[in-house]
Amino acid sequence: MGKLFIVSRLVARDLRHRPAQAVLMLLAITAATTVLSLALALHGVTSQPYQHTRAATRGPDVVATLGGATGMGHIPGHAPSDFGVPTPRQIQAETRSLLSAPGVTGHSGPYPVASVILRLGHRAAPVEAEGRDQAPAALDQPYLTAGSWVGPGGIVLERTFAEALGASVGDRVTLDGRPYSVAGIAVTAASAPYPNMCFSPGGNCVFDLPTLSSVGSANIGLGWVTEPDARSLASAAAPLAYVLDLKLKDPATAQQFASGYNVAHPLAGSGVVTSWQNLAYNDGLLVQDEQQVLTPGAWLLGLLALASVAVLVGGRMSDQATRVGRLKSVGATPGLVTLVLLAENVVLALVAAAVGLCAGWLAAPLITSPGAGLVGAPGAPSITAADAGLVAAVALAVALASTLVPGIRAARISTVTALAEQVRPPRRRGALIRISRRLPAPLLLGLRVIARRPRRGLLTAASIAVTVTGLVAVLTFHATAGARLNPASSGLGDPVVDRDEQMLVVLTVALLALAVLNAIVTAWATVLESRRSSALTRALGASPRELTSGLVAAQLLPALPGAVIGIPLGIGLFAIANGGRTQAMVIPPAWWLVAAVLGTMIAVAALTAIPARMGARQPIAPVLTEA
Amino acid sequence: MQQEVVLALLAKEPSHGYQLRARLRDALGPLGDAMNDGQIYVTLARLEKAGQVAVERAAGMPDRPDRKMYGLTAAGQHRVSEWLAEVSWPKPDLAEFHLKLLAAAAAHLADPIAIVDAQRRELLRRLRDAQRAAMAEPRESEAALLLEGIVLRLQADLRWLEACERTWTKRKANSRGER
Amino acid sequence: MSETGNQSMLRTRGLRKEYGKEASLVRAVDCVDLDVPAGETLAVMGPSGCGKSTLLHLLGGLDRPSAGQIWLAGERIDQMSERGMAALRRDAVGFVFQAFHLMDELTAVENVELPALLAGRSPRAARRRATALLEQVGLSDRARHLPSQLSGGQRQRVAIARALANSPLIVLADEPTGNLDSEATLDVLQLLDSLHQAGQTVVIVTHDSRIAATADRLISMRDGAFVDDTRLTGGTVGNLGALAGLDG
Repeated sequence: MGKLFIVSRLVARDLRHRPAQAVLMLLAITAATTVLSLALALHGVTSQPYQHTRAATRGPDVVATLGGATGMGHIPGHAPSDFGVPTPRQIQAETRSLLSAPGVTGHSGPYPVASVILRLGHRAAPVEAEGRDQAPAALDQPYLTAGSWVGPGGIVLERTFAEALGASVGDRVTLDGRPYSVAGIAVTAASAPYPNMCFSPGGNCVFDLPTLSSVGSANIGLGWVTEPDARSLASAAAPLAYVLDLKLKDPATAQQFASGYNVAHPLAGSGVVTSWQNLAYNDGLLVQDEQQVLTPGAWLLGLLALASVAVLVGGRMSDQATRVGRLKSVGATPGLVTLVLLAENVVLALVAAAVGLCAGWLAAPLITSPGAGLVGAPGAPSITAADAGLVAAVALAVALASTLVPGIRAARISTVTALAEQVRPPRRRGALIRISRRLPAPLLLGLRVIARRPRRGLLTAASIAVTVTGLVAVLTFHATAGARLNPASSGLGDPVVDRDEQMLVVLTVALLALAVLNAIVTAWATVLESRRSSALTRALGASPRELTSGLVAAQLLPALPGAVIGIPLGIGLFAIANGGRTQAMVIPPAWWLVAAVLGTMIAVAALTAIPARMGARQPIAPVLTEA
Repeated sequence: MQQEVVLALLAKEPSHGYQLRARLRDALGPLGDAMNDGQIYVTLARLEKAGQVAVERAAGMPDRPDRKMYGLTAAGQHRVSEWLAEVSWPKPDLAEFHLKLLAAAAAHLADPIAIVDAQRRELLRRLRDAQRAAMAEPRESEAALLLEGIVLRLQADLRWLEACERTWTKRKANSRGER
Repeated sequence: MSETGNQSMLRTRGLRKEYGKEASLVRAVDCVDLDVPAGETLAVMGPSGCGKSTLLHLLGGLDRPSAGQIWLAGERIDQMSERGMAALRRDAVGFVFQAFHLMDELTAVENVELPALLAGRSPRAARRRATALLEQVGLSDRARHLPSQLSGGQRQRVAIARALANSPLIVLADEPTGNLDSEATLDVLQLLDSLHQAGQTVVIVTHDSRIAATADRLISMRDGAFVDDTRLTGGTVGNLGALAGLDG
């Protein structure tokens, strides 16, 4: 136990003695753990969302739509005039035949569905209003995420639709002119999410074209009202349709059941049957979209976070050498020495992991709210114990990996060498030194800073490349989406694009934040490490301005090629994320790209100049006279 | 200078007086300039009387000493071997200065610190001269080594004087405090 | 070099440097008045902790005084801006440190030419000057060696050459032989002496009396203040004979 005491005391002393470097390390690892926590939280939510919803709503295996004016449906081989409105008796016969089909073990409904125009403020949208009992159904009971279930004069909106509409509980709306209020918001497994309700293979919308064109939007939303309300909303122009939910003995056969039935009953007046697999697929398309944005974004963030950590790790080892020497000279075994070196980073890693987990947990809802229709646990996407363990393990692994190899090496070298700080003297880069001789003072100093640690220059270039890649991908997205935008939309816009844009905004903000952090970390670490040689250079006559400019140049020189490479990488990234559809892609105008690169350069220069200037104004004598 | 030095100089081969003088000069460098030329002949006469040195040949007039050639006798050779094996070291003379300081302090004749400072200044001047002389000599000359020895001795003495100054300053401060 | 004999190269009045506050106040330099004429070699001696290194840092513009005035070649420097001080260190002052403080990744000649490059001289001129200086200190055969390949004495000589790169008005040396053995000390001694012969104004801080003995003037320092100021003019070589044991 004495050992533990010694180790903890040494660690505490060192952290107090060099707080700046400890803080930097903490920041960098926290950034990495935050990104990881976010990714894990989102992964939990976006993987298999349909299954969650299906379980939570007791979703049906098969959904049948009967009756109504199926003007939107188009069955190959038949003219629209073949379709007519079925009579109630025909609908009853259909229902019976469906209910008695082989393999059906349960059912819910049939529920009446009215086609209405909903207006909220100045927005209008066509809505299918399904009439339901107030008591929960055994099969297909929509899961409330806000508000309460249907009541007289109230409508419960489907969640993706409500988001696109911008509606919340308590809003006053009109359905075909009649006043209703939004009673609640729910999710269902019995329908594809907005706006794909009707445009999916096997979609079962019952609106007709003339009505829709009056509204100007082809995207139909879903809501639930009480059964009497639904019946009262029906009109001669828009007669009631019916929705029937079926439960099969073998859910896996739902697909065959649905296609078999549709093939056997091709005419209008007959129902259109969809299997749950179809609905799952539609749901999945939405998630796929999201993940096409999230996954590359997460990778970029992760790379940046790793770069920050790598910068610090490289720097810390060299000044551990003296500590190693001193420890060994008082008799510490190599094992103890390695333990001390590791313990410090382990403490930092654990703190960073805890902070990162909290930050990720708090930030996840910001990203997931656009991804509506996804049901995880109620409330915010949770971070399970397994997730927490994983984050902590990764943080520890980073700390260990960064300490282990240099730590073991440092503990193995002879005491004398360690005391003489020969562990990693800067290697001489003759070419860079020779070139720098011919340059004015700031560039001379800058090049020599790079020459002392060329790998740091590579890291800087890589970090800037990652940042600009992200920026250019976002710009390409905007350019492409801008070209695609339908000017005749009703004001609701394309929710898919909206959702993607929201996510992109969040990701871009996160990327920029990490890039700023990375720039500051790198600049600060460089300033701290070159304290001695900076003081010496100033003692030889370099002015603070020349020194600051030199450090800025040392960052900018590798940043520029990194930024330039980021442009094609960013466009390529967008192409990959877009599924390889390069024809649809629009390359952003040249001045956008130039502005992005220039902006990045200016930001790097400014962020480096601040710590550089602070370092260049420190008093010289104390630095040179300290041991 | 010890007689044995002259004896040892004759150990290699018999020499004339002027040859011995020349060798001494070479060995002592600038310090040899101040040497009394006649001293060596006095020493040689003494050694002859003691039976350690004998005149080998007398060419020319016997009254002119520089014509004589001197050589070691058996007793002289024996004395040389003995002397080479002796390890006595020149004795230091710190006690005199130490007592000087104590006496001055006890009788309130003078400020011991002032005495120390004055001595330090003098030694520093001599150190400067010795150093100058040492640097003027060519590197490999024999005299350079001798001068280096003087320099280092002076340095050691100066360190002691600094210690004296520290101690006497402390003593003064304490006694003032006591009053 | 001492054209205007009255004109002092370096002058201070009431120079003070303090650390800490109230109870823990430390007066590293306490009200120092100094006058160094051009061409003089001045040695400052004192026990460790007496403030002599701090004094030298103040004179060289490496630190700012708490109070007092400093004039270098007639110009007031204690109130100068950071940029002005940098120019001072570049052109007017050459500093030699106890720990040498050479750049580990630069060769000897690259170390020596660095101040000249910083002053804006062409690379060729800077290289020429550096080579000449290395020859002056006797290290032209080690010009392309790294500091790690040089002995302590050689490193200090490179540092001295570097201090001379921009022909400074004054050379300040802080314990130049502090880390050296006696043979290396001898080399540095000879170098300092040759500087003196060339008329360079030099201020050396040392606790080695041999170094102090090369100076024209010796100041003793204790607890931040000057306690003694002596001119060192010599006796005769004859006195030395007595020291060597020659009674003649």
